[in-house]
Formats: sequence, structure tokens, C-alpha cells
Amino acid sequence: MKKLNLIALLIFIAGLVSIFTLDTPTTREIQGKVLGLFSPFIHSSAAIEQAATNVMAPPLDPKAIKRDNDDLRVQVERLRIIQQKYNQIIEENSKLRQLIEFKQSSPFKMTAAKVIRRNASTWWNSLIIDKGSLDGIGTDSPVITSVGLVGKTSTLAPHMAKVILLTDELCRVSARIEGTLEQGILSGERAALDIKPDLRLRFLSLNATINAGASVYSTGEGGVFPKDLLLGRVKRFENKEITGESIIEPAVDFSTIEHVFVIEMQSVVTPEVPAAIPVNITKP
Amino acid sequence: MLFHPIVFILLLLSFLVQEFIPGLEIAQFATLFLPAVFFFAASVAVPFPVMLVLAFCTGFLWDARHLPGVSEALGGGLDVFGEDSGAEFSASMALPFGLSIAIFGMLGTLMQGIRPLFKRGRLELPVLMVGAVTFSWLLLQYVVMTFLRGSLEFQPMVWIKMGTDTMLAMLAAPLIFLLLYSLASLSSYEIKYEGLRYRFDGR
Repeated sequence: MKKLNLIALLIFIAGLVSIFTLDTPTTREIQGKVLGLFSPFIHSSAAIEQAATNVMAPPLDPKAIKRDNDDLRVQVERLRIIQQKYNQIIEENSKLRQLIEFKQSSPFKMTAAKVIRRNASTWWNSLIIDKGSLDGIGTDSPVITSVGLVGKTSTLAPHMAKVILLTDELCRVSARIEGTLEQGILSGERAALDIKPDLRLRFLSLNATINAGASVYSTGEGGVFPKDLLLGRVKRFENKEITGESIIEPAVDFSTIEHVFVIEMQSVVTPEVPAAIPVNITKP
Repeated sequence: MLFHPIVFILLLLSFLVQEFIPGLEIAQFATLFLPAVFFFAASVAVPFPVMLVLAFCTGFLWDARHLPGVSEALGGGLDVFGEDSGAEFSASMALPFGLSIAIFGMLGTLMQGIRPLFKRGRLELPVLMVGAVTFSWLLLQYVVMTFLRGSLEFQPMVWIKMGTDTMLAMLAAPLIFLLLYSLASLSSYEIKYEGLRYRFDGR
């Protein structure tokens, strides 16, 4: 081997070792900066993809649009009434909590975000959304829709974030099965890149009595996800060597998500005067 | 010596073009990994030190753009494994940042080592080799991921994805080789097909 090649190889190995020894915050910062650099191109590609979809889509019927619009107006009115009732209940709940000196729950803020595109990568299930660190989003924040849990945020750019989907093996949730005392860890299957792959709820008791169709919720005990987020429904139960395992159908259809909400958990130590849980929704 | 800077710029451009390449839903979102394919093709055409520079840049940018960010346990979580077990945090399951640099370095060296086989000026063997190293890259990533996560799982969908990714890489490879060969002739650069040899006299 030539001397130059040998020197190049040594420099390469030294560079590689220095990259391997980078700490997590530094690698996250690098990933965020690179995602920020690529963000104009990601937006452009999403716009082209959308334009192509629109060209392929059948022409819209004005009558159908008007009908949908009327339905949505009615739905908005109904939701306004529900919101008023909700605010009253929250206020009442707050007063009752004060009376019994109940420990205050951590408040959380929700930020609405639009899904830009699904990431085509080697082995990871992820989405890109149009809100990032400058919009108040943090890493490892739960991402939900009105149906249930979608995943958690990963790499953050100033106005863009990568969301690891619930169907990815990296996204693990401490979960419980409704109507039972069973708790386990829910995660996706390895390299399950289908549109709607099944999830696995592991570490359940052997021979547990679990009905198909039972809802699965987050327990809120794992440190990332708040409790009572709908994750999916039980398809079947299997006994493994040491523990039981349930196959779960995800609640969310990951192929049709357009808008999501990012929950920002705020670490608040019990305040002197408990207040209602503020739910701030930032418009997309 | 204009060839090397142009190859480097084209490599950076391939990362931008990658953003515009969609995934195939019917094949587990398989796609053409253009930067990787470009690197493998370019590693035949450039000298060993330049190949290492390209491997470093490709691996670094690939991991920075595509590797999921590592979670950090904040503490205080209580799950079925007990307090602070960090079950919802997956730091130990994530691939290390920089792994792609090592893989690209190894596979690029392999491409350099078999350069004498490309002397005939035909494209079949280089295209097959690009397919083979693309498959090896995906397989190595999957194997390391499997090793870190603890159980050996090879579902049929894994093979479908790797096979489709490889086929797409092989479809794109001839075009990239033709681009590189044209670029070499335009910039009066001679592609040398000598393999990596160890000489005792250090020449």
C-alpha cells in the first residue's frame, strides 16, 4: 500500500473514531442543522408530490364540496358547545381538586402541525412535520391525532421535525389493556414498513385473559407519553416462552394522516393554588 | 484535476435529489438511495484517499439526515420494569451515529480492491457490484440493528425491501457510470483500474 493511502486510511479512522465519540446532544444538533439545511428541498419535494397527486385525482364536484362545507359548519357549532361544557367541567374539577388538595397534574400544551411527507429511508418509519424547535416543540414529545397516538418527535430543525412513528421498533410505549390489570411495552415490529403494520404488546402475564377488540391505552408511567392515549385494539393474544404477547392493530391509519398535534409536557411542581389544565392549541 | 471536485459536488447534489425520490408503498417504501449508489459508482473511478473522503462525507450526511435522533432518559419514569428503567427511551436500540461512514469506507475499499476486474470497459460487472454492495450496505445496517436490539428477526418484508432497493440501485448504476466516464473524458482524467496492493518497499 502506498504511503499516501496509508496516511489517508489513518486519518479516516481517526475521523471515524472522533465521530463515534460524539455525545448525544452534539449528534442531535448536527442532525437538526442538516435537517434545517435540507428543509427547503423537503418542502419543494412535498409540493411537487402534492401537485402530482392533485393532477391524478378526479375533478372535485362543487355540490359535494358545498355539502361537506355545510356538514363541517354544523360540526364546528357542535364542537363549540362541547368546548363550553368542557371549560365549565374543567373549572368545576379545579375547584373540587382545590377542596380535596388533590395533586395537580402537569399541564400540557398542544401544537398543531401539518404532515409534510413520509420519509423513505432504509429501516425507519418516520414522518416530517412543519413545526420545529422555533415553534416550541421539543425532542421526544408525543405526537397525536384526534384518534390516538402517532409517535414521538425525533430530530428537530427550526421549522421542521422528524416524527418516529408508533409502528417503528424505536418508539416504545408503556401500555395497559382496558378492562384488565395487564401492562406491557408496546412497540412496532422490526423494519415493518407497511402502511399499517401490527404492533406488539410484550411482557404481559402468561395465559392472561384478554379479549380481542379491547382498547389499549398508554399508562403514562414511562416518562415520555401522557396516560390514556389510545394506541390501538387487541387482535389476538399469544403465549411466548416466558411472557404473554398481544398483537395490536394501531388506532391511527398512518397512511392518511394530514394534521397532528405535538404535546409539549411541561414539568410543573405542584403549585400552591391548583388551576385548571390549560390546553393551548396553536393553529397550524 | 477537475474531476475530483466535480464528483464531490455531484455527491452533495445527489443528497438534494434524494429528497425528490419517493418510496414505493408496494415494496415497503423501497426507494433509490441515490447518494449511496453514486458513492459506490464513484469509488471505482477515484483514487483510494479520495474514496475515503467521499465515504466520510456520504456516511456523515446520510446519518445526519436519515438516522433517527437518539432519545435520552430524563429520569422519573415508572413503567412495568420499575422506576427509571427508561423503557420508553430507546437509546440502546438506536444505530450509532457514524456507522454509515464505517460501512461506506469498507464497501468503498472493496470496490477499489476489485477495480482490475473493470478493465474491459464493459458495464455489466460494475453494475452487478453496485447491486451487491448496496445489498451488503442494507444488510449490514440491518444486522447491526438486530444485534443491538437483541433478537434475530428476518421477516419476508425485509428481503422484499432489500431486493427492491438493490434492483433500483442497479437500474440507476449504468447512468451514473456513464456520467462519470463522460465527465472523466471531458476533464481529461484517466480512471486507473489498479487494485489495492501491499508493497513491502512502501511505494
